[in-house]
Formats: sequence, structure tokens, C-alpha cells
Amino acid sequence: MRVKQRGIFRLIGPSAAFALAAVLVMAGGSSAGQERRFAGSVNVGISTTLSGSIAQLGQGGLNGVQLAVEEINAKGGLLRKQVRVVSADDNATPATGSSNVRSMILDKKIRALFGPVSSAVAAAELQLTAEHKVPTFLHTSNDITLMTKRYTPYAFQVVPNTVMEPRAVAAFLKKHVTDRNLSVATFAPDYVFGRNTVTNFLQALKDLNVKFEVVNQQWPALGAPNIAPQLSSLIQSRPEVTFNVQFGGDLVNFTKQAAGFGFFKSTRIVAMYSLDPLTALAPNAPKGGIAYSRAPFWAIKTPEMTRFVTKYRQRYKEWPNEWAILAYTAVQSWAHAVQSTKSFNSDKVARFLPGKTVPTIRGPIKIRACDHQAEVPHYVSTIWDKPHPQVKVPLWSPVVFIAKPSQIMISCAESLKLRES
Amino acid sequence: MIQADAALISASSLFLAAAGLTLIFGAMRVINLAHGSFYMFGAFLTTSLVGLATGSRFWWAVPVAALGVAVMGGVVEVSTIRRVYGREHLTQLLATFALLLMFADVALWIWGAEYRTVPLPESMFGGIEIAGQLVPRYHAVIIGTAVAVGVGLWLLLRFTLLGWKIRAAVDDPESLEAGGVNLRALYTIVFALGAFLAGLGGAIISPQISVSPGLDLSIIVLAFIVTVIGGLGSVLGAAVGALLIGAAETLGTNIAPDMASTFPYLAMIAVLAVRPWGLFGVPER
Repeated sequence: MRVKQRGIFRLIGPSAAFALAAVLVMAGGSSAGQERRFAGSVNVGISTTLSGSIAQLGQGGLNGVQLAVEEINAKGGLLRKQVRVVSADDNATPATGSSNVRSMILDKKIRALFGPVSSAVAAAELQLTAEHKVPTFLHTSNDITLMTKRYTPYAFQVVPNTVMEPRAVAAFLKKHVTDRNLSVATFAPDYVFGRNTVTNFLQALKDLNVKFEVVNQQWPALGAPNIAPQLSSLIQSRPEVTFNVQFGGDLVNFTKQAAGFGFFKSTRIVAMYSLDPLTALAPNAPKGGIAYSRAPFWAIKTPEMTRFVTKYRQRYKEWPNEWAILAYTAVQSWAHAVQSTKSFNSDKVARFLPGKTVPTIRGPIKIRACDHQAEVPHYVSTIWDKPHPQVKVPLWSPVVFIAKPSQIMISCAESLKLRES
Repeated sequence: MIQADAALISASSLFLAAAGLTLIFGAMRVINLAHGSFYMFGAFLTTSLVGLATGSRFWWAVPVAALGVAVMGGVVEVSTIRRVYGREHLTQLLATFALLLMFADVALWIWGAEYRTVPLPESMFGGIEIAGQLVPRYHAVIIGTAVAVGVGLWLLLRFTLLGWKIRAAVDDPESLEAGGVNLRALYTIVFALGAFLAGLGGAIISPQISVSPGLDLSIIVLAFIVTVIGGLGSVLGAAVGALLIGAAETLGTNIAPDMASTFPYLAMIAVLAVRPWGLFGVPER
């Protein structure tokens, strides 16, 4: 047997050796080329949720960051340095998130941090990144306290926050309800994001003089597989409008289970029905329900977005969800600051961005100087009964309400007041 | 009506998750945390077997997924579990927790991090009207499966030779082995049966949920509470424990929605304060 093997090697030896040599020469050439192209490298980190029922948000964000970085490197890098992405799964737990970020800062010397999904995780991470002066870009976690009570000079939020999002939804709802008293129920994950979004939604309805009565409020745990008790209580209260703050797999769970009770025939559901949940639910999404999203690609009509969608599809063989789009713009914001200051220095980057307008695939985005909240719109529509011409599943009605930043943001004075409270 | 349905659905889901766990502990005195992995694999296998496009293959996908998990359980017992028989519970807990973590990585590798859904079979669309309230038709399948598992286990343990051997293995394994029964094979069968029940639970519940990594941990905590309340090793206890938790969750949601998740734990504390060995358990000697 051994002899036979030797024989085979003798037979294929010259050709294998030639092939190996060719590969090595090519690899060596390529490596040398890379070195010539870049003057060293810098790391950026993304610690986000990559497992569990909300992993799709984290994975989308990671895809967006990676694509943005690949494009930067393809153009010669940032300040001639190659950008490398260091990623980690935070399991949606603050302790894991903090541990990831500490390791990224101390071991990987990251120059910027992107992520996470959960606002509770973000709150824990912001303390660390402020301490180590690492510019941090929140593109999914959107609690308003992250830019007010927990404000740090090094953190920026490029996503509509937990005041902007419910205000946009309330403004849309106001257009579609009558003057009579409306019975409203809320269903939200039991943590800071869910609680704050519900509070701000009800406040927004009051501010808009919508007459309403809250008939039921439920707070299921994030990622809870069994929501039967909460759902039964909700259904029994017979609300005309149900504001559901869940997202990802949790929203899909809710919709599947509530549909069995015929719940959507008696209530107007309002929820974050964006690309992923609508794709997962197709063709059984609650048609006519009010859907909102932070960055739906089909509603953002910029040439840059069209180009991004094409590139994203080529790279990942799927349509980009809003989490990928938001993360991509987060990298664009950091890269713009680095290029403008001609430096990776965190203080220079953090001082540059406030008050500046950043060109992104979502259009120009201004980072507000007073609290580092990006002045971005929010998108609301209704779930359509016809498949989207390209995506091939029913998405939104062609009529999309785009709430302007000025319509939904709190003022700088209010923001500063919240910071001091 | 709708509250009763919610309590029954919660109880049925929990019982399906807990039945195998308590069976394995009853026969083998092993606290198997990897039971959550078996449940998750049952659900994931169903998503793969059914595919995303159609729900028509669901009915055969459920038993096939459960059988697949049973085979997995058999392999786990032979390769790992039989090495921790007779050891302290802490050792068993650590060993099975390690398995749970490993299987979580395996699931991540096979199915990815994103959630997957199982479309409801068309025959299960819509609901049944009971007392003026529409109740999902599929709930009858979940409740029916839980009842069938409960009755099936009772019949198995009470009236079959295998059941007799399992009960004898609990009371006096040495005498059973001296009588010519292959105890190793018996334990493998029991462990595989427990895994089958977990796989069945995950498979049958899959159209109701989004299946994703993390399901293992979230279900094992509740299944463990149910098993402890009922008394480790008691199938009847698991059924009663599941009903108690289902009722506590539903009641808690109506009394204090802000603290609904606390109620199952309160129920557990209340039961254990009165009977530390659970409702139908026996104190360990």
C-alpha cells in the first residue's frame, strides 16, 4: 500500500509541485501587492447579537459593516490603511457585550465600535467606550437615553430613537383615525427599549390630540417562546388599535399566533413589519396593518441606495434589511470623519462629527451637535396585498409616509434637560 | 374561554418539553440539561424537513424529526451519559450543560443564527368557534399531542414489559441486572425515548414560534421548573406542574401584566416551601 502511494506521488509529483509553486507565486504576488496598496491596517469592532430570535438584526448589521469596509478597502483603504472588522456575538446580554468590547479595545485596539442590537447592551458598552475614548456608532439600538441620560462625547446614534419612531407612527395613525375615543393596546418586550417606546407612543398620541383609552398593556420577555397568556389577555380586551413594539422573530411569533385567533380582523395592528418579518410571514402577513421601518430600501429613493442594493445582493445573495442599511451608514459616518480629519484619532473624530452633514446611502444625514442624534426620517405605511415587483413578497403600499426629522425629534433644549435629569 | 385556552396551550407546550426530562430522571437519576438541545433540534429539523415553501410535508416531518432526535439521544447516551451514571448531580449537570453548549454551536453551524419559520399546514388555518370566541385550530393539535404523550407514557410504564423494566430499574437496578436484563441497553432506550419526546415537543410547537438558536436555554429553564414542581421523575407530576405553571402565567398576566414572568417562579417557591421534593416526587434517600 505504501509503495502504491509512493507511486502515485511520483506520478503526480511534478504537476502538483508546479501547481503549488504557481499558487505560492500568485499568493506571494498578491500579498506583496496588498502591502504596496496599504500602509498598515486598523481594526474596527462590531459586537452585536448573532444568535437567538433577534439574530437577524445583528447579522444584517454585521453584513452592512462588512460590505462598507470591503468597499473602503477596494478603494485603497482609509488614509491608505486597510480596515479590518472584528466581530463578536453578545447574546443580547450586557455582560457579554461589555466583555466583547473590552477585549476588542484592549486586545484588538479597535478605532471605532459599531452595534449592538439591544439598548440594554448598548448602555453597558457606552461606559467602556467613553472610558477608552472609542467612537461608537449605534445603528440598531435606539433608546433615547443612550444620547441623553447616558450621553458621552464619543457616542453617535444614526437610527431614529425611541421618541422619533413612535412619534412617526402616532402621526400616521392620527391621519387614519376618527375623532371618537380609540381603544388602544400595547404589546412590547420587557426592557428599556419596549417600555420607552410605549411611553413615548402614548405621549405622542396625547400631543397630537388623539382621543384614546389604553385597554391593555403586555410586556412579554424578549425572545419568549410562549406568549399565550399575554396574547389571550390582549385579545380579550378587544382593542381597536394594537401597537406592537416587538421585532424580528418575536414579531413573527406574535403574528402567527394572533392570526389563529382571527385577531387581525378586529384590531388594527401597528408594528415593525419590515423586510424580514414580512418575508417570513408571506403570504400570511396581516394585510392593511400599519407597518413601520427605520430604513426600508424600497422607500429610500436615492441613486446611492439603488447602487447599494445591487452590491448587497451580489455579495450576500439576498435583499438588504434595514439593519444592514443602518450599519452601512454608520460606517460611512465614521469613514467620513476619518477622511475629513485625516486622522483615526478618536478625539478628532468625536469632535468633528457633531453638527456635520454626512453623505450616506440614505441621503445626507446631519449629526445634531447637542446630543449626537442623527437627523433622520422614519417610514410608515400599510402592508400591501400585492407582491413587491422585485422582492416577490407583499411588502408595503406604494404610499409611504415619511416623517421628517423636524416633525419627530425632541428639541435640543429637551434633550439637554433629559441629560441632566 | 380564551384564558382557559391560553392556560392549556402553555401547559401542553411545557408538558411536552418536560415529559422526557422527568422520564429520564425517573429511570436513570440523570438531570439532563441537554434536553433543551433535543427540543431545539426537533424544531430545527422540522424547519429543514418542511422547507419554507410549503406546509404540506409538515405531518410526516414531525415524527421524522422526533425520530431523528431519538437517534441523536441514543448516541449521546452511549457516548457520554453512561459515563456519569451514579455520579453526583453536580457532575451530571456540568456534563449535560457542556453538551447543551456544544449542541448550540452545532445548531448554529447547521442552521445559522437567523430565525426560521414553519408554515402552518393549510388544514390548520383558521380557528374553531367555542363559546363565541375563535380559538386556533392548531391549538387542538398541541393539546391533543400533550394528552397523547401523557396517556401513552402512563400506559407504557403501567402495562408494558418495557415499562415494568423501567420502574424496576428505578427501584432496584442491581436485582434487575442480576435477572438478566441488559441495563445498559435499557438506559439507552429510555434516554432515546426521552429525547424523542423532546424532539416531538419542539417539532409540534415549531409552526407557532420562530425557531432560532437560544430556544434550548429558554425552554430548559421552564421545563426544569415544571419537573421540579411536579417532583423529579414523576410523569403525572410533570403534567400537574405544567398545568400549574400555565395557570399561574395566565392568571399573573391578568392580575399584574408588569410582573407576569414572576408568577411561575412564585408558584415554584410556594410548592417547594411546602413539599421540597415536589408535588408527586419522593424525598431522595
